[in-house]
Amino acid sequence: MLRDITVSSGPHISKGLSTRSVMIDVIIGLVPAMVAAGYYFRIHAIILVVTCIVSSVVTEWICNLIRKKPNSLDDFSAVVTGIILAFSLPPGFPIWAAVIGSMFAIAVGKMVFGGLGANIFNPAMVGRAFLTASFGMMMTTWTVPATIDSTMPKISAENTMDARTQATPLALSKEAQKTKAGALQVKQQIEAAFIGEVGGCLGETSALALLIGGIYLLIRRTISFHIPLVVIVSAFVFSTIAYLINSQAYISPLTHLCSGGLLIGAFFIATDPVTAPLTRRGMWLFGFGVGTITMLIRIVGEYPEGVMYSVLLMNAVTPLIDRLFKRIPAGGRPGA
Amino acid sequence: MSIITKSRLSFPGGIHPPEKKDLTSDSPIQSGPVVKQVAVMLSQHIGAICRPLVRKANMVQAGQKIGDCDAFVSAPVHSPITGKVTEIALRPHAVMGRSQAIVIEAYTGNPTKRSYFRLKDGFDVGKYSIERICEAVRQAGIVGMGGAGFPTRVKIEPNPRLPKKIMIVNGCECEPYITCDYRIMLEWTSEIIAGIKLAQKASGCPEVIIGIEDNKPEAIEAMNTALDSSGRNDDIKVVPVKTKYPQGGERQLIRSILKRNVPTGGIPPMIGVLVLNVATCAAIAEAVIADLPLTHRVVTVTGEAIARPGNYYVSIGTSVEQLIEFCGGVTQKSARVILGGPMMGIAIADLETPITKTTGAITIITKEQMGKAKFAGRQTACIRCGRCLQSCPENLNPTKIAHAVKNNLLDVAEDCFMSACIECGCCSYVCPANIELTGYIKTGKIFLARQRKKMPK
Repeated sequence: MLRDITVSSGPHISKGLSTRSVMIDVIIGLVPAMVAAGYYFRIHAIILVVTCIVSSVVTEWICNLIRKKPNSLDDFSAVVTGIILAFSLPPGFPIWAAVIGSMFAIAVGKMVFGGLGANIFNPAMVGRAFLTASFGMMMTTWTVPATIDSTMPKISAENTMDARTQATPLALSKEAQKTKAGALQVKQQIEAAFIGEVGGCLGETSALALLIGGIYLLIRRTISFHIPLVVIVSAFVFSTIAYLINSQAYISPLTHLCSGGLLIGAFFIATDPVTAPLTRRGMWLFGFGVGTITMLIRIVGEYPEGVMYSVLLMNAVTPLIDRLFKRIPAGGRPGA
Repeated sequence: MSIITKSRLSFPGGIHPPEKKDLTSDSPIQSGPVVKQVAVMLSQHIGAICRPLVRKANMVQAGQKIGDCDAFVSAPVHSPITGKVTEIALRPHAVMGRSQAIVIEAYTGNPTKRSYFRLKDGFDVGKYSIERICEAVRQAGIVGMGGAGFPTRVKIEPNPRLPKKIMIVNGCECEPYITCDYRIMLEWTSEIIAGIKLAQKASGCPEVIIGIEDNKPEAIEAMNTALDSSGRNDDIKVVPVKTKYPQGGERQLIRSILKRNVPTGGIPPMIGVLVLNVATCAAIAEAVIADLPLTHRVVTVTGEAIARPGNYYVSIGTSVEQLIEFCGGVTQKSARVILGGPMMGIAIADLETPITKTTGAITIITKEQMGKAKFAGRQTACIRCGRCLQSCPENLNPTKIAHAVKNNLLDVAEDCFMSACIECGCCSYVCPANIELTGYIKTGKIFLARQRKKMPK
């Protein structure tokens, strides 16, 4: 009667979570931003996202084949990397370059370390950093959302890019703030940036869509609130201080929050569990680092956007943070 | 019936597994199988193993002491039935592999059936001296019945070096499925109170707190009523605690109720606390008042794969197989037979394994209950999500310890306080990568013990 009984170490029940279910949750959380991207950038957005997903997945498959490792595609982590990478590219980005970026992200950002769980840096950000370093011009050419300019932008030799491109609020603001006339424009920019009607990378345009996705992840407890909260708060505080010191030279904190990669970084990139610290206190420090370095780059540095580098920098120190905030048993150190 | 509000008394960490107690919570304690043969383990407790006091072919009486030891930390064992010793042989033991047991064939002419102990009116704790209580508890072979099996006499005896101030009675029963303590609290309430008073007197604790999870309002109510009718004094009180696993772990319960931490590697008496399980308290009353040794206990037989789940009063030494047959056998889909509950229980392969003093339940679950991830049986890489850290009630870093053990880095594991793990299983339960974190940590502890044995300081 009991031919099929098995034994194993306890516990014998489980919550039923799997890496796949966690990754699918993240994908669902990214859907609102995907919809926003599709709405503002039309077919370009869809092509880019699909390209990045497919090339990420294929790269992972090939890497596993070369390493003679079991297939790991069913954990869907490559899909997440693909989506996030696509979201951090400008809409008019060439397909071939996106393929190269995805391959680099998966192969160098993840698989050379030993696959999911072993990578030090966020793969999507590694891919983006590679693309920024290699194709700097293309990476900073932002097209206008289709809802503003009905003639869909095409990158071709016969048109000059400037005619159909627009600076992101961040790039614009740095210039515009210097004039009085620019001030009103900035105010409209904040509203536009919140709903997403601005130029920018695919997934970064609509703060609203990112917030919805982020709140979904928080409710599902796929991510904890610690990192997003402290990233946003520290970025806000830092930019407020700068704004109060010189409101002419620096743009308002709200513009900072609603634009660029800050929100997608706070909710989807910095929270990547593999490359973020394990402990709560470590998360506070990590988030503080991401928020502050982003603002340092944006305000003091030359780049208009700094989420990518700040995340990569903090990824690099994550093992140190984990060591710093070592967990001590509830009963204190033994023998103490 | 008063309304018991949700308790906030809790500890950091922990999980909320499905309780599944409704399978057996309404089934009253009933007599278990009349067995033809029992195998009484010589080691059913923490401490020195007993020496057999009988030989092959000896006749034994029900309640006769058949194994004892002179060591301080030990407890004697008794025969639950009248019969003949057929052999002293190895029997499967859930934790220790195979272990010595005295096998007794029942005398068929007059099968002994022990009825439940009922407290008679006129119980007065003043009639029993401390020495008498301690001696009775020792002679009855009482050990902690919540699972650890620490000899109770050692716990309750007055110790001038570590004076005890507060006694906590553990009625949490946080483990899913199990209801034996719950039924005891409902049905043997006054016996528990009597046992509490006896233990209180022996240990000299001025204060007693009965901690019960707030998902058992009937038990809280019953205990309060019994306290009222036995002449309530303020030194014994019932405190509802939050329903959360592992609330019934003594370190967690102390943390919830007293907001104090038992030192890592230490025991509750170090902070002046004594923790006793409700079933142990009932056994104390039985031993002191009626002079009955611990030869029977309530076992919950439960799980989706058993035909007739329920709470049974079972002879210690009954094999799991006999008990399963008595409960109507198992259904087709049974996948795992667990001694204890699904969280901390131990899966057994050999159904000859006898019930011991610490076996509170037999849980037989199906593949569906084991969860989707376990069902797939596939382990993926750790994604460092930190769920195990957040769920750990002892504030450890389970993933780091487990991976250190996996790579045979026991010094790293110890550096992360592996020995402080209480093996509650919360980390494995929540792990999305389906890593047997608790299993690795348990293995690591065994490796470490072996290593230390080989290389004495």
